Amino acid sequence: MANRTGYLKSMGIFSVIDALQFEFMRNAVVAALFASMICGIIGSFVVVNRLVFLAGGIAHAAYGGIGIAFFFGIPYIYGTIGVSLAAAFLMTAVAVRAKNRSDTFIGVLWAVGMAMGVILLDLTPGYHADLMSYLFGSILAVPSADIWWMSGLGAVTLAVTIFYYRDILAISYDAEFAKLRGVPVNLLYFVFIALVAVSIVFIIRVVGLILVIALLTIPPYIAEKYVRSLMMMMILSVILSMLFNMTGLWVSYNYNLTSGATIIMVAATGFFLSLGVDMIRSFYRKTAK
Amino acid sequence: MTENDPIIQVRDLAFSYNGEPTLVNVSFDIAEKEFLAIIGPNGGGKSTLVRLMLGLLDPVQGRILVHGRSPKKMAHCFGYVPQDVNINIHFPISVIDVILMGRMRYQGRRRISTEDRQKAMESMGMMGISGFENRRIKDLSAGQRERVFIARALATDPEILILDEPTAGVDSSGKTELYHLLKQLNESKTIIVVSHDLMIVSSYVKSVACVNRHVHYHPSNEITDAMMDMGYQCPVELVAHGQPHRILKIHGDF
Repeated sequence: MANRTGYLKSMGIFSVIDALQFEFMRNAVVAALFASMICGIIGSFVVVNRLVFLAGGIAHAAYGGIGIAFFFGIPYIYGTIGVSLAAAFLMTAVAVRAKNRSDTFIGVLWAVGMAMGVILLDLTPGYHADLMSYLFGSILAVPSADIWWMSGLGAVTLAVTIFYYRDILAISYDAEFAKLRGVPVNLLYFVFIALVAVSIVFIIRVVGLILVIALLTIPPYIAEKYVRSLMMMMILSVILSMLFNMTGLWVSYNYNLTSGATIIMVAATGFFLSLGVDMIRSFYRKTAK
Repeated sequence: MTENDPIIQVRDLAFSYNGEPTLVNVSFDIAEKEFLAIIGPNGGGKSTLVRLMLGLLDPVQGRILVHGRSPKKMAHCFGYVPQDVNINIHFPISVIDVILMGRMRYQGRRRISTEDRQKAMESMGMMGISGFENRRIKDLSAGQRERVFIARALATDPEILILDEPTAGVDSSGKTELYHLLKQLNESKTIIVVSHDLMIVSSYVKSVACVNRHVHYHPSNEITDAMMDMGYQCPVELVAHGQPHRILKIHGDF
């Protein structure tokens, strides 16, 4: 019997059932699935609009919100959402007005947000969350309340995307033409940037800053190459993201590794595999000619 | 409004980028069913003028009226083909979705109807790209992409068609074909085309606007020496195009 259990365990089947008996593991799986859904949709928008740097800026600046929340003793979530929205709108306003130097401005806010967070935490007496847990998150310690928040955010993201799909497509591909056709380009752009900011805050809480950026960029980057529409890009990104998350969680559970970092390594493996496949494909295409 | 009222009126228009004047004291009218070519050197303000007409830029001074109203309110009259059809080339979008952008409506959000699809297919047929609807935009050649963008502009069913250097990535037989089509469309639409190609300009258009900070409007398709000088820096082009018979009026102060 012991042998048989060991065999099943090595096959991975037993360990999955085994793992799901723990509530923290079930929560982790559900949180990862919601994070995948939100990141796949929002990430596709971020990638096609070339907003990866802006998303990184928002995510880092939001750390300032943690500092503010602890220092003034207000709930964590208000501090981070407030700061990330403010940073997102400032960055977007600059990007719209002075395109050529907006990256510098984003870089400055990025650094200022983090520094402000660190200093305000220094000034706050008592014990508080360290930088590492902000960077890498703690997907294995997700409270049930956060899952409710994420399901709500996921529903809002999905609804807005479906309702405004044609407009989002138009402003992302050719904003000028969309404007001529009467699409409220700036308004929709700000709505979506706000959605990006809020998503980042919630997902950082669950999976950490670094994993947010990985999940926002890697699946959409891979998906974009193989699809013919933004919709398919979003769907494929969600699927890839779920695959990376589940594989990562399983590996981290079995080999006792840090979950966030393991998920990132799995996604990165997918990323390099897709690059390799592309290189082989283009090589064969060339020799075929 | 009578038949002969101009469709676009430009009055004392001025525009500047970062304090640098790009257009100064511009006034002219464009009549209905006009076929206007806008020519001039690079950086002379051609695209700026077009973008002002479309309402994408606001004039620093003066005004533009389209059917007597501001261009922003009349955006639905325009079919616009931008200069750069290679923007966002890796964007995951199919040909039909690009063309359907032309069917987006001024008033609010709306689903794509069968009529929209028919209209899109029709304009694809006109541009000779039927059967391309599900191709991804990056898999087309530059010339085919140009056609997709013109088809998108046609799908809007515009009263005024504005094309900003539409022949950049098109070979010479493609150019002739395109202008032939524009001439046909001109029977029912006003057409404004920014171009470098003076020879084609002279054989198809009805009027010419030379833009180089100032605008000189010529209500006929004659090509003058001065136009040649500002259109081309290269004398070989001049000779090759053989300007002779079309030289008529020469304007003053370029």
